[in-house]
Amino acid sequence: MVTVINYADVQGTILRGYRVDLARHFILSITNAAKAGAFLASLIDGTNGFPRITTAHRWTEKPECFVNIGFTAPGLAALGITEQQLATFDKPFQLGATSTTSAANVGDIGDSSPENWIGGLSNGAKVHIVLNLWVDDDPQILEAVTLRLRTAFAPGGLTELSAHDAHALPDNHVHFGYRDNIAQPTVIGAPPRKRKIPDDQPPVATGEFLLGYPNQGNGTYSVQPPELSKNSSYAAFRIIEQDVAAFDAFLAEYAEKAGVDVETLAAKVCGRWRNGNPLELQPDAPGEPLPNSQINNFTYVSPDATKDDTLGLRCPIGSHIRRNNPRNAAITGTDSTHHRIVRRAMPYGPAYDPAKPDSIPRGLIGYFINASISNQFEFITEQWNLDSKFVKAATGPGGKEAGNAFFNISGEDVFLGVNDPADSSFTLAALGAKGKNNTVITGFSRTITTRGGAYVFLPSISGLRYLAALPNQAGM
Amino acid sequence: MASPLTLILPIIPGTTLPTISAALATYGPQLTAALSSIGTVHYARTLFLDRSAPNLQPGASPSDSYVIAIITEFDLSFDKYIQDFVAQVGPVFDALLQFVVGGAAITPVANNVAAFEAFITANDASQHPPNTGLFQAYTFTVQEILANG
Repeated sequence: MVTVINYADVQGTILRGYRVDLARHFILSITNAAKAGAFLASLIDGTNGFPRITTAHRWTEKPECFVNIGFTAPGLAALGITEQQLATFDKPFQLGATSTTSAANVGDIGDSSPENWIGGLSNGAKVHIVLNLWVDDDPQILEAVTLRLRTAFAPGGLTELSAHDAHALPDNHVHFGYRDNIAQPTVIGAPPRKRKIPDDQPPVATGEFLLGYPNQGNGTYSVQPPELSKNSSYAAFRIIEQDVAAFDAFLAEYAEKAGVDVETLAAKVCGRWRNGNPLELQPDAPGEPLPNSQINNFTYVSPDATKDDTLGLRCPIGSHIRRNNPRNAAITGTDSTHHRIVRRAMPYGPAYDPAKPDSIPRGLIGYFINASISNQFEFITEQWNLDSKFVKAATGPGGKEAGNAFFNISGEDVFLGVNDPADSSFTLAALGAKGKNNTVITGFSRTITTRGGAYVFLPSISGLRYLAALPNQAGM
Repeated sequence: MASPLTLILPIIPGTTLPTISAALATYGPQLTAALSSIGTVHYARTLFLDRSAPNLQPGASPSDSYVIAIITEFDLSFDKYIQDFVAQVGPVFDALLQFVVGGAAITPVANNVAAFEAFITANDASQHPPNTGLFQAYTFTVQEILANG
């Protein structure tokens, strides 16, 4: 059956990458529901000089800016969604990113604890809206649209708690030096990506990213009231700070301990060389950047013995890209298509210059988009990034004497793990039964810290209209 | 370190054991394949009991007091992996729940995952005192045992 999505009813960032260089994310609190409803109505239609909420509908001319909006559970409540209705939403969304349960699930502990978050994000009850503004590359447009929005916040019953800027680094690199934004799931029914990067993975059911469509489990996610269900989604908004100096120091120290060069260790912990080439296709050296047609077109398990990497000898099973999308590797549960996420993140802060060390905050900011925070964002983080027990026992072409995948992973994700030095661990696999020849590095610390977060609901356009009218209907 | 699940569910009065057995038998091969594929379940079995019988054992005569129990020991978290279970054995649970008191409200489970999870929590005796204990002769996971085999 062909899945037909009404793109004009879907917020654009869910299904489209905007391919822009600048972003500003406003964290807002609702102080007057009726006025906030009127402000929202203006955004939906782009009236009163406001930018229009961007949909996934195809545009003939690229807009000068893109705007999307997400609501936290307290935000929906402030607009009049009842407690009984909120109880039908995804559980982590109900609890919120600052809840101790969610924080523990995703490793937001210690310095990453919500109590330490910036920009008012530590007080989840007051965080109601995440309003996103993206601009191609003209800072003047960013500032002009920002000014228009800010002049409307107070009359619109909104208080700005903070704003968080992001900007693309050259060639889609992130502060740790890796090329990013390569892999995204192919969503059934979504518009085709303009920059085609084919992969050797099954398309993912629409219902994994939009409520109201069949998901990978042959069910359909829905919420109450029904006006908010179809074409809506959820996202984890995250601000994660990257300590480049600490990461460089980790690479230098542990490359020597592991007996490899720095760039090889950088590639092993990520699964890709810093130029984006995957270890599966370029196992020995980064080489020239592969074309888009090849750079994401690989799997980990193959009937062809020359291509099979069940044991993670080329791309470690505990590497970042393999943990976050095990592709066709054997994992407990079902398979990776049941837990995919769309990533819409961009760096913030100036590029780090090792010749002029500084402590200016820098990192990544943006959305992880999914139809179930519990089964996608939190599942991936908790089960795959913060644990190693998800890997099934599996042997490769060499049989059990060559090793078993189960023994070739340890610890947590080097990037997203908590990585307490008391038990942090990363395995570089080698041929040999039960991992007997593996190299395991231990004792390192986390180099990425969570600085903020919010779980938001991304309503459909018709859902936004419902919310805009709700305060008046509810007599608020 | 495995966790126990002891799901005890009252059967709708008027349902016969052959009816339930026949329905579940249809899904036997699918269930076996699914539990193997999920890779976290050590053992699983079902029990039929009759609350009206002195020794709880179902007899030849029909009863309106049947109970079905699903008993397993499994690795990791059932709640966290519930979508994976639903994806693989959702139709089996749907077939069973049609005979269970309160089951109709949460089927198909694929569309009611949160309610299904809450139903499991409420009816899993192992999550409620005094039935939370479990003796374990070993701490290996299913995959660890298979990898060492």
